Amino acid sequence: MKRRNERVITRVVIATGISSVVTQLLIIREFLAQFQGNEFVIALILFNWLILGGIGTILSHRITRSLWAATATRLGWLSLLLAGLPGVLILAVRYFRDVFFIHGSSVGFYSILIYSFLATAPYCLIIGFVLPYSLFVIRKSNPGYPGARIYITDNLGDVSGGALFSFVLVLWVSPMTAVFLANIPLLLAAFLLFHHYSRQRLSVYLSAAAAFAVLGAGMFIEPLSLVPPEGKTVYYSESRYGRIQVLKDKEQYTLFVGGVPLFSSQNLNMAEETIHYPLSQVDTARNVLLISAQGGMMAELEKYRPASVDYVELDPKVADVEFRFGLIKKIRGLRVIHQDGRAYLEKSKKIYDAIIVNLSEPDTFQINRFYTDRFFALARRHLARYGVLSFAMEGFENYLAEPQRQKLSSLYNTVRDYFSHVLLLPGEKIFFLCGFRPINTDIPKLLDQKGIPTRYIRGYYYGNVTPERIERLNSLIDPKTPKNIDDVPQLMHLMFLQWFAKFSTSPTGFIVVLLLFCMVYLFRIHLEEFVLFSTGFMVMGSEILVIFAFQIFFGYIYFQIGLIVTVFLAGLLPGAWFGDRFRKRSKQTLMFTDGLLMVLMGLLIAAVKLAGHQLPVAAYLVFGFSVSLICGFQFPVALYLRGGDAPAVTQTFSADLIGAAFGTLIANVFLIPYFGIIWTAAGLIGLKFLSLTVTILSYENV
Amino acid sequence: MKTFSRRQFLYCGAGLLCSTVSARAFWPFSEKTGMAAGPADIRGHVFKGDAPETLWKWSHEGFLYTKLNDKLVMCGICPHRCLLSPGDRSVCRSKVNMDGILYSLTYGNPCSVNVDPIEKKPLYHFKPRSKAFSIATAGCNFRCLNCQNWEISQAKPHEVRHYELFPVDVIKAAQRSKCLSIAYTYSEAVTFFEYMIDTARLARENGVFNLWISNGYINREPLLALCKVLDAANVNLKSYSDAIYRKLNGGRLQPVLETFKTLHEQRVHFEMTNLVVPGYVDDDEMVKKMCGWVLENLGPDYPLHFLRFFPKYKLDRLPSTPVSTLIRFRKLAMSEGIHYVYVGNASYPEGNNTYCHHCNKLLIERTGYLIPTYNLDKNRCKFCNTVIPGRWV
Repeated sequence: MKRRNERVITRVVIATGISSVVTQLLIIREFLAQFQGNEFVIALILFNWLILGGIGTILSHRITRSLWAATATRLGWLSLLLAGLPGVLILAVRYFRDVFFIHGSSVGFYSILIYSFLATAPYCLIIGFVLPYSLFVIRKSNPGYPGARIYITDNLGDVSGGALFSFVLVLWVSPMTAVFLANIPLLLAAFLLFHHYSRQRLSVYLSAAAAFAVLGAGMFIEPLSLVPPEGKTVYYSESRYGRIQVLKDKEQYTLFVGGVPLFSSQNLNMAEETIHYPLSQVDTARNVLLISAQGGMMAELEKYRPASVDYVELDPKVADVEFRFGLIKKIRGLRVIHQDGRAYLEKSKKIYDAIIVNLSEPDTFQINRFYTDRFFALARRHLARYGVLSFAMEGFENYLAEPQRQKLSSLYNTVRDYFSHVLLLPGEKIFFLCGFRPINTDIPKLLDQKGIPTRYIRGYYYGNVTPERIERLNSLIDPKTPKNIDDVPQLMHLMFLQWFAKFSTSPTGFIVVLLLFCMVYLFRIHLEEFVLFSTGFMVMGSEILVIFAFQIFFGYIYFQIGLIVTVFLAGLLPGAWFGDRFRKRSKQTLMFTDGLLMVLMGLLIAAVKLAGHQLPVAAYLVFGFSVSLICGFQFPVALYLRGGDAPAVTQTFSADLIGAAFGTLIANVFLIPYFGIIWTAAGLIGLKFLSLTVTILSYENV
Repeated sequence: MKTFSRRQFLYCGAGLLCSTVSARAFWPFSEKTGMAAGPADIRGHVFKGDAPETLWKWSHEGFLYTKLNDKLVMCGICPHRCLLSPGDRSVCRSKVNMDGILYSLTYGNPCSVNVDPIEKKPLYHFKPRSKAFSIATAGCNFRCLNCQNWEISQAKPHEVRHYELFPVDVIKAAQRSKCLSIAYTYSEAVTFFEYMIDTARLARENGVFNLWISNGYINREPLLALCKVLDAANVNLKSYSDAIYRKLNGGRLQPVLETFKTLHEQRVHFEMTNLVVPGYVDDDEMVKKMCGWVLENLGPDYPLHFLRFFPKYKLDRLPSTPVSTLIRFRKLAMSEGIHYVYVGNASYPEGNNTYCHHCNKLLIERTGYLIPTYNLDKNRCKFCNTVIPGRWV
């Protein structure tokens, strides 16, 4: 009977793990589509999620002890609630976005922070609460049940949820369908729990039916939830990289990716500038490489009669939509390559007359890779003798603000090492033209000589891109601004500064509150919890670091990155299993494993520094698995040392989550952008060293 | 089966009701919600205690302000009428109360200086093919979500790099650059009123024209003073809806309408621009009402420019305006009776050309800023001799 009870609850825990991870990934995507897709926001939402989960876990013991005793029936109700909540949560994020914020406007840091915190709080608090609560329910019939086993079970659910989402759901179904599918197991598990424990059949049937109805209704409401007030959505799809929508307003089609309008079918100015500024500089444009594209560009490109146009677009769905709605024309010699642009260039041997990078601002690690030293070196290798590389940054209408000046300076200083002539042209955007001979700024004249007709450039260039404006823009470049190198993505933090400047805010207040919270928390926890806090920090920090390094060397390869994320979860499971069975659970074990984590991190530094390009993908997977294996191993050991009673369980669980929250945020928005790969890894080693020192000192004191 | 208690029934009923209500809550998804969303008013506020400790070189006592009790001052330049205690900074960020005296911090320190074609302002009926020496300082009394100059309009004077160009230097620089006129533009000229009017007076004395490119959010008294030295203006009529003014721009409609009336009454040549923001300003009925007001109060002769919106600054999650909407608005405004209606920021050549309102012949063909065809004889149509409104020679 005891075993059956445990089995029933274990099923609930696994199903909750599946549901929570799928929901977490969907919510992150939803926030990125509704707000901003920059690295800061990604980290912020994950941070909120983990912190709230940690708070829920801490509250679990207190609430259970004084207000709400742990019973299987209550667990069942909570599970039903959890099963129904994700769909409501996603729809609420969409709906209230346009209730609290002006439609069509972007939103600043603090608004996103508060909105995401409040929106996700109900779900995350319950998710954090329910895991230790499940343990307390089991312990009512089996007081000796080890806390680590619940942790293992939860990990099993998490790994399954992560894999289910990354390799199945994201590829085939919409968010609400994914929510429906991911929560059916939880609904069933909760139902079986009631079936096993309770006789309140009718209310259970009705509630389960209501939860099912809410989940099902979500799928029907979903199309309505994406209707914009202007125009009509003629295409909607979720690709593995984000949300794609095409909006039709009168005769104009606009492509939205991740909620941001990328370009429209009436984009003549940008199309002309992007194509003709670089191509006017080359003698012949026989072979052209486009890294991503804009509406109308191919028609402009066609005027040069190129022999081959290689168009690299990472997301096949985006390219498909561009052709389907006539945003991009199919021209002779066009070859569409669905690959990461950098990865393509690494493997290709082709030489181009022009490489035109047409990507958005470098506000994610993924995009930043196209504006770094290694990329510029790569581009140079693929250019003909008098070939040209061009890319563009957001505009300079009449004044160049300081963060933007720093951003342009960093880019200029980086690219200048690889091209003897670099010029910034102040068009609709700021165009960087990089070549091996002087850049001629009289572009209308060059186009006339080539017999290339244009409308926008012919009519507006001499009034908009005046010699004075060109001279002033180029003279504002600061030669002292650090370069944007792969290992230290300087541009990322300049992008953050620009983002904060746009909303006239500063993260200082947030950082102060965070530090205070962190200090209060760290002063209140036990040694074992600190070890887990630092391990949680390290696991998330190293996961971000590994994904970052992987992208530099291999490009953005969805399945392999998905695999890395999965192994970072997967190692926890066997680790915790070994830790639970390990007989000699002592502080020395914690110290030994802390040491191992430091060695692993040291090995990563050495490997990346000495042989980044030569490292096989498997090395990253083995590293991720090993780190999470040790983290998983430490958990039961620390829990055992902490005593394993109810407060110990909630505090150790939460220490891991809160450490992970801080690891995510600090590595993403502070350590990597400011200090780069090596120093971030060194920082993580330093944290573990601190944990080791504290453990040694406390050991000696005993 | 066990009987179902009243309490259980109530719980279940409440649960089902909640789920129904929550489903209903999402129903408005299907409705057009653009205007209903978010805060209704984004007006700026006075920056309490934000004035610098000491004045700097480019400070100048304000021209039109009232001293009140307890060293309070009230700025009289724009309809915000900022009431400032000592140490406060105005909504536009460029004025401060220093010990009971109102100072402008933007006198002689433009942060943006350019030579632009006059067509870029846009001014299509004032000295075509001429150049305008364009200056701007930091600050604005609006908070437009789609501002294309937000780096200076939403900044305080000390936060930007600036030049030192006192009024006399501006005139010299304009003449050196062979500009016929000086345009007070980019950010918001109302906020550097003292600098603008002193420069404009000097420019008038030196035979240089003055152009005011503005949101028109100014009180009548300073505007009357300005009109005395003004040669042309382009005033942005952002929409014909007070609600949209408050929501997207942080201002009010009525004062802007009053500005148009004053300019008309003072016989200053002006042109109007209307940025067509999808989902907000792209409403045929609103355009009809706007044209009705223009015809009734200003007459049919002032040129109206419909500009294409592009996602900018904070309003960057909307699509750009379809060109056909601008063409439709142009036709609509012309059919309502406005003589000269243009389409800007869009590839629609006809919308840039000037056609005689009497004989409909092509008077000025514009290809961007280039003018390949010019069929005006002084200020008259070459074909039918009709006087074309504007200042042409």
